[in-house]
Amino acid sequence: MKNRLRVLRAERAWSQQDLAERLGVSRQSVNAIETGRYDPSLPLAFRIADVFGLKIEDVFANPSREDAQ
Amino acid sequence: MRSATPAARRYLRRFFPVMLAYCGALFFSTWAIRAWEPQGATLVALAVLPALPILGVLLVIGLYIHEEADEYLRRRAVSGMMVGLGTMLSFFTVWGFLEDAGVVGHIPAYWTFVVWCVGWGVAEIAQSLRDRRELAGGGR
Repeated sequence: MKNRLRVLRAERAWSQQDLAERLGVSRQSVNAIETGRYDPSLPLAFRIADVFGLKIEDVFANPSREDAQ
Repeated sequence: MRSATPAARRYLRRFFPVMLAYCGALFFSTWAIRAWEPQGATLVALAVLPALPILGVLLVIGLYIHEEADEYLRRRAVSGMMVGLGTMLSFFTVWGFLEDAGVVGHIPAYWTFVVWCVGWGVAEIAQSLRDRRELAGGGR
């Protein structure tokens, strides 16, 4: 699933480790999500959005809408 | 399995005593069966003794999967276990037919656990190396 994690991190000057600590997950998890190798569960996706103070759809691209485009 | 998470640390703290118990049970069982040449229930009990810590290992692994709060690491571990399962089933399916044809000898059933562990271990190493490469690649 495409997402804006890298951009959002860069805007806040957060490293993957910083984000991982804020989320309470490993850096491998953040990396896997950021690179699209792993789609987070809905609770984790909401947590990620909360950490950035955004709505979930502002962080993650809706796959069904991507397919339609 | 990385030791970074609390669940992984608990896994290691549980795993090593159980493996130590396995070594002790295997040594004692082998020695006792040869030395005492027991029969009946005693023989059954002594023969089963080394299997109990192995069942304990399975319990320890199950607890890790249950307790691991990092969902990506949990998924990674389960993926590795599935590779181990596939390796085990493939190996013993092929071996079984070869054995029926008289091409190879018999393998004791407890080797299924060993083959599963080998498959899981190889998958775990491959996934760890991939993660390490990805982490080294950027995203600091």
